[in-house]
Amino acid sequence: MNAGSGVDVDLMEAAIWTETMSEFLGVDPGPVGTFLLAVVGAVFWGSVVLTVVGVSGIWFKRKFNARLGDRVAINRVGPAGLLIMPADSLKLISKEVVVPEGADPLLYRLAPMLAAVGVIAGFAIIPWGAGLQLADPEVGMILAFAFASLLAIPIVMAGYGSNNKYSFMGFEREVAQAIAYEIPLVVSALAIVPLVAYFGDTTSPLKMSEIVAAQQGSLWGIDGLPIPNWFVFAQPLAAALFFVAVLAEFSRNPFDLPEAGSELVAGYLTEYGGVNFVLLFLAEFAAIFFGGALFTAFFLGGGAGPLLPEPVWFLGKTFAFFVVVQWLRATVPRIRIDQLLDLGWKYLIELTFLNLLLTGAIIWVM
Amino acid sequence: MSDWIAIAAMVVVAGGLPIGVVLVSRLLRPSVPERQKQKTYESGEVPTGDTRIRFSIQYYLVAMMFLVFDVEVVLLIPWAVYLVQDPSTYVPAFVFIVILFIGMGWAWRNGAIQWIRPKGRERVRPRDV
Repeated sequence: MNAGSGVDVDLMEAAIWTETMSEFLGVDPGPVGTFLLAVVGAVFWGSVVLTVVGVSGIWFKRKFNARLGDRVAINRVGPAGLLIMPADSLKLISKEVVVPEGADPLLYRLAPMLAAVGVIAGFAIIPWGAGLQLADPEVGMILAFAFASLLAIPIVMAGYGSNNKYSFMGFEREVAQAIAYEIPLVVSALAIVPLVAYFGDTTSPLKMSEIVAAQQGSLWGIDGLPIPNWFVFAQPLAAALFFVAVLAEFSRNPFDLPEAGSELVAGYLTEYGGVNFVLLFLAEFAAIFFGGALFTAFFLGGGAGPLLPEPVWFLGKTFAFFVVVQWLRATVPRIRIDQLLDLGWKYLIELTFLNLLLTGAIIWVM
Repeated sequence: MSDWIAIAAMVVVAGGLPIGVVLVSRLLRPSVPERQKQKTYESGEVPTGDTRIRFSIQYYLVAMMFLVFDVEVVLLIPWAVYLVQDPSTYVPAFVFIVILFIGMGWAWRNGAIQWIRPKGRERVRPRDV
């Protein structure tokens, strides 16, 4: 796969956080130094992600949903209820942890931690901007999907380990849903890979930075067209299918069946409280942002945008994705589990494969 | 190489977060064990029956469909990467996906991708609830 010329490889390598930092410091770090630099970067981006997730998960989500329902929501704790964030975190962290009887203590306690680790670690490959991305391996897109599907495992552990019937049904649904929408998720994104190779003129089109770079020209490579070559314009069907698949993969409305507040109490979260609940909740919200970051990188041109620096645009687009997800939450009713499977297996999979074939045919003709 | 070092660093940092939060919580939280608190939640009723119920067989059929499709997707990824370099690889991939569709149609027709089979087609044995 590494068939690019030496110059290209140098440019790509320079687009990683550790390389940027060592160049900035003017030293050549060994493996240990690289690791330390990477830890600094990981702490930085981890804090950014956690801040955004915390603000939007605890405060913005409630405010926004209340506004859609013509309510006011939190407004007593600090200005506009903003101090609810430290208050809620402190409250939840200092709550007693009650392990339900008959539960598997190891699975029950390990699931929230694993959920948080998997989702946050996935942000390592998100292309925030040139020189800021933590890691840019050649298998970027595949690694992204690996991280995306990782969340299902802690949910199974939580659901099975809780010894609660609601949790059990929640995890059964989660597994069926995760495997039904895994395939449309990957195949719809696969349809942009030939486009990356075509417009980006590259031999490693799975790289996240290459995917973003290929979207920077004008649409379809036509000179002077004022529309950017974001794959949401070049591949609208793939973008729509990917959006639906992301919603289902991370169990967002109208596909939030594993939690299904009005049917299963809280699904796999039923027996969780205190710090374990915090971690699962965090993982769930971080997963929305992970999905949004993938959508931004694959279809919305990454950090492309006028005036503001790349990471700001990237985070802004990701946040816009989150807002749309919350909007759907307030407006679209939940579908049934059999309808969900039907939609996934009988329509999305076929459509994504047809879209892939269509893309291939267009590439072949061009 | 530094890519994978960076991913390892991110995993370490991401692993430190939940461990740190749990440790902080352990310092702050009270522990007042009591039998009634540990009962599993069943809408306020006394929990009845076994939680680890049986799965419907349909569930495994869907899982097997997934395995088949997942392998096919893995086979398609190298093709999607290579397509621009050699567009004539389109023809075998087209045949491959057509065969996939035929298999999909067969599974669809035989009800392998249903959550619950309709009552009419059920065998004599009643469903395990």
